[in-house]
Amino acid sequence: MANGTISVIKVRGILLVTVPPDPDDIAVCELQEQVLQAMARHSAKGLILDISMVETIDSFFARTVSETAKMVTLMGGLTVLAGMRASVAITTTQLGLSLDKTLTALDVDRAMDMLVSALDGTERTP
Amino acid sequence: MSSPYEGEMAIDTEYDIVMARKAVRTAAVALGFGVTDVTRIVTAASELTRNIYLYAGSGIMRWHPVSGNFAGLELVFEDQGPGIADMTRAMQPGFSSGNGLGMGLPGSKRLMDEMDIVSEIGKGTSVRIRKWLRR
Ligand SMILES: Nc1ncnc2c1ncn2[C@@H]1O[C@H](COP(=O)(O)OP(=O)(O)OP(=O)(O)O)[C@@H](O)[C@H]1O
Ligand SMILES: [Mg+2]
Repeated sequence: MANGTISVIKVRGILLVTVPPDPDDIAVCELQEQVLQAMARHSAKGLILDISMVETIDSFFARTVSETAKMVTLMGGLTVLAGMRASVAITTTQLGLSLDKTLTALDVDRAMDMLVSALDGTERTP
Repeated sequence: MSSPYEGEMAIDTEYDIVMARKAVRTAAVALGFGVTDVTRIVTAASELTRNIYLYAGSGIMRWHPVSGNFAGLELVFEDQGPGIADMTRAMQPGFSSGNGLGMGLPGSKRLMDEMDIVSEIGKGTSVRIRKWLRR
């Protein structure tokens, strides 16, 4: 998003990114880039993509999101998709998109819990 | 075009895919489709307009209400691009001539109640999809 409208918040080593309701393809690509840069800049270990505002997920969006999650893994991080609407979940599945390899949570709260306990487990000092 | 139920839109740029989604959402909501069907129709429109943009460069989307046993919404996606050489393969989930997931055409068919494609090599492609309102 050239106008920088995506919001990136860092909480406890976790980046919270809110995806806008109806991003065009360029915005989706820019979002990916911004997210990866922010992960590196903040040395974040976890990423929450809040998609609760997103009304449509098509194959391009799904591909970019699962790619982003893969890239975050390569950078040593963990991604959780939070807040997918029921209508979007039904449509995405029927379309045949495989977002199933990505961790998901009902909302940002639960995504945060998931990441905090997952990261705690890997980082606890004896 | 003052009616939200029908219209025509040129698909020339990547941004037109967003505009198409908005127009289709407005039409589907106005016709009384529920949120899940609206999402299905908008998603199919997103796939098919992106195919126009990617493979034909430009084309048009038309939409209008239809009536049969039920009322419904019909959308037509037309281009004068290269056409689809092997329709059977194009309709197979996972087939992509580019770096796509190969889900656009088969997925749209599953999301809608009806889909017909007419394509001729060197002439272009026309995809017609329909969704019926059930009450
Ligand atoms: N309007 C069109 N004109 C020419 N060829 C097309 C058109 N639409 C689809 N095709 C061909 O059919 C193939 C399958 O299309 P489909 O939308 O299913 O998958 P994709 O576009 O390759 O990937 P995805 O949509 O999952 O990102 C395309 O790769 C392309 O070769
Ligand atoms: Mg496609």
